[in-house]
Amino acid sequence: MSELLHFAEHRLQETALAVMASVYALRLVWLFRFRAGRDRQAPTGSRPPAMARGLLYSWLNVGMPWAMESTRTQAGLYAQFVVFHLGVTAAILLSFVIPYAPHWLDSRALVFGFEGVIGAAFVVGLMRFYRRLSQPTMRAISTPDDYFSLALLTVWFLLAVLAAPNRPETNEPILLAYFFMTAFFLLYVPFSKISHYLYYPFTRYYLGRTLTHRGVYPIRRGPASAAVEGRRVLAADAHRRPERSPTC
Amino acid sequence: MLNATPVRSQKAARVIDRMSKKLNRQIAGSLAACVHCGLCTSSCHYVQTNPDDPTYAPAYKADRIRKIFKRHFDWTGRVFPWWVGAASVYTDADLEELKDVAFGKCTNCRRCSINCPMGVDFATANRMMRGLLVSVGVMPEGVAVVSKDQWEIGNQMGVLKEEYLDTLEWMSEELSAELEDPTAVIPVDVADADVVYAINPREVKYDPRTIADAAKIFHLAGESWTMPSEGWDMTNFGLFSGDDDLGGAVARRLYEKVVELRGRKLVISECGHGYRSTRCEGPNWAGMDVPFEMESSVLTMLRYIREGRITVDKSRNTTPVTFHDSCNNARSCGLYEEPRELLDLVVTDFREMYPNRSENYCCTGGGGAMSMSEYTPRRLKSARVKAEQLAATGAKVVVTSCHNCVDGLSDLIRHYKLDMQVTQLVNLVATAAVVPARVAVPAAAGRPAPSLAGRRILVVDDEPDVLVFYRSVLEDHGATVVEAADGETALALARREKPDLVTLDLSMPGTDGGMVFEALRRDDTLTDVPVCIITGRPELRRLIYDRAVRPPEGYLDKPVDDETLLRNVRKILEVT
Ligand code: SF4
Ligand code: SF4
Repeated sequence: MSELLHFAEHRLQETALAVMASVYALRLVWLFRFRAGRDRQAPTGSRPPAMARGLLYSWLNVGMPWAMESTRTQAGLYAQFVVFHLGVTAAILLSFVIPYAPHWLDSRALVFGFEGVIGAAFVVGLMRFYRRLSQPTMRAISTPDDYFSLALLTVWFLLAVLAAPNRPETNEPILLAYFFMTAFFLLYVPFSKISHYLYYPFTRYYLGRTLTHRGVYPIRRGPASAAVEGRRVLAADAHRRPERSPTC
Repeated sequence: MLNATPVRSQKAARVIDRMSKKLNRQIAGSLAACVHCGLCTSSCHYVQTNPDDPTYAPAYKADRIRKIFKRHFDWTGRVFPWWVGAASVYTDADLEELKDVAFGKCTNCRRCSINCPMGVDFATANRMMRGLLVSVGVMPEGVAVVSKDQWEIGNQMGVLKEEYLDTLEWMSEELSAELEDPTAVIPVDVADADVVYAINPREVKYDPRTIADAAKIFHLAGESWTMPSEGWDMTNFGLFSGDDDLGGAVARRLYEKVVELRGRKLVISECGHGYRSTRCEGPNWAGMDVPFEMESSVLTMLRYIREGRITVDKSRNTTPVTFHDSCNNARSCGLYEEPRELLDLVVTDFREMYPNRSENYCCTGGGGAMSMSEYTPRRLKSARVKAEQLAATGAKVVVTSCHNCVDGLSDLIRHYKLDMQVTQLVNLVATAAVVPARVAVPAAAGRPAPSLAGRRILVVDDEPDVLVFYRSVLEDHGATVVEAADGETALALARREKPDLVTLDLSMPGTDGGMVFEALRRDDTLTDVPVCIITGRPELRRLIYDRAVRPPEGYLDKPVDDETLLRNVRKILEVT
């Protein structure tokens, strides 16, 4: 392994991670400087709503495609979301495995696993790029950062797939490119929309808190939702009707 | 020469400055967290009816606000504005564009909010933007008028105290007569009552039957109840205009009245935004912890039936009904199972609407849209989603627990020519309520209806069928009817015939109803003649209420049935 690759795998990554963590911390300080709203209303329902349950529902929302109409009716987009984010997780994990546990990659199965997951994410990245460019609504809501972040991740996925076998003796340029790109990615993330996962716990906490307190979360739908706090609901014939959207 | 920095108008500067005070963590999070994934796009009724116009997409609309937030409050937008889509507002024209989005392209229904995986609550951010615009005087005319009424007169529709008390008295008399029970009255300002009942001014103005029906239910349940003589409006335009000061002042007025009366519980009549404003948001805006319980009348009625305080016979409501969940009730306050339980008890044929509960579509008249006539064509176009949803149920009656939805649904039903009527739970419960023998309802034929003999009524409408209908109903009851099919003829006939009452359509070719109304009021010889507006276009109310003359004595929404017409004519002419 060359010195440059060693630097890229260790010092560069550690520095980039430290910078990212510091900027994230500043981001949180920034967010917390906005005052938190207070809800004085009495809780909805005869019993106080189970706040912990509602918050859990809100936080786990992303893993419950049935919970929102938008994910129920756009299953393809939801599947893309899952694959894409698994790819991000795998590509980040790989950037730790290569420098700190390279022997893991002696297992062909694990390398295949990384290649498969990250490769699928690469394909989804291309599909997302196509969608963002081809749909007028997506174009209208896209900023240069949106395009760049997506392109960055898609190229990064490709490099991660190629780097997964970890062969510095034959493949050093790819490994260098992957680690320099990872470092750039870590430095760029806090300034871009990719940092959305930092906000996720907070936005979902506040929405979840309000909607649970007001008896909206967890969302109930008819006709499947039967008894609510032990009470009878719905007319008999409603149970026979399939759920459908009037516009699809 | 150097590039000059654009000069910012005073209003634009104030909007930016005030934004820093309005932003809280929830809104800042919503503005920072959007990833522009577009998942929420199809959840909006505006998008569904304008699929080729990306400017209706919730994320696009949110970006009009987000760009200002990023430019002034987020460091990425300060350093690389172009890169992250940050931009400021400079001119009053920029604010007008924001107004078009915040008021004209969103009903704040929150449907996109519950469909965003990131938890971005655009509707709340949009309400903030409305409030900022209102604070610098940039708002639709209707919003300004209604806000002014609520600030100055104390309720959204400019109902004067005498008019309100008069209506309560009238409804009280109707109830006593219906139940043949002199104790069946509407108590006003009674201290220490278990229930203080607050209503929507629309009930006084256009739908007093709901007051009488509620009074009937309270009476049959043997409730200790009262209505306040002041601070009785449980609606709150602050919710729609985004003006927290107005919201707080209106809510406080009502809370203080309940405290003054030492009421134990505030029961809020069926109104989505009223319920949300009074029970949920009001304490936050008013900055006070409310020392009494508050509940929707839907829960009150349900409890009366469950506790056996009133008995209902559902076979009296056999027409197929469906239920429309108001966004404010269902999506912001969790009130969606109780109305269904109540319906199950009082109707025989209930048909669920899809989607429903918190996923239901807006009536498309929400967020104050009914008061913004400049956006009516957009609103009615977006209402196609709701119309299809209603039609698919096969029901003949749509029930809703919201007065705003009553107006929104009635308008779209007329526009899309659906064979449906709109009603509220209170009406169905009152119909189904079994009156105990001691207050048996007299046979309808037993009481001769008071005659209109000797009364001369000028009916003005450009639709010949409507004129024929009014003439036959009124003449059957003894009135002398004079007809006019346009504004000029109406004025000429009014001057010649000196009628006792004028019924007036608003939308007419040439001189419209508003102009006729003002001319009547300004004519010394006709100024005292009572006028009853009868219109099929509620959005034209401003033609009347914006005028600096005494408001009309009556107002009815078309279509009008004979019973409603006669009841209102008798009330105005004081024929009892
Ligand atoms: S508001 Fe939510 S669903 Fe809509 S584009 Fe933004 S992140 Fe996606
Ligand atoms: S709040 Fe309702 S009307 Fe407004 S953008 Fe969202 S879905 Fe559309």
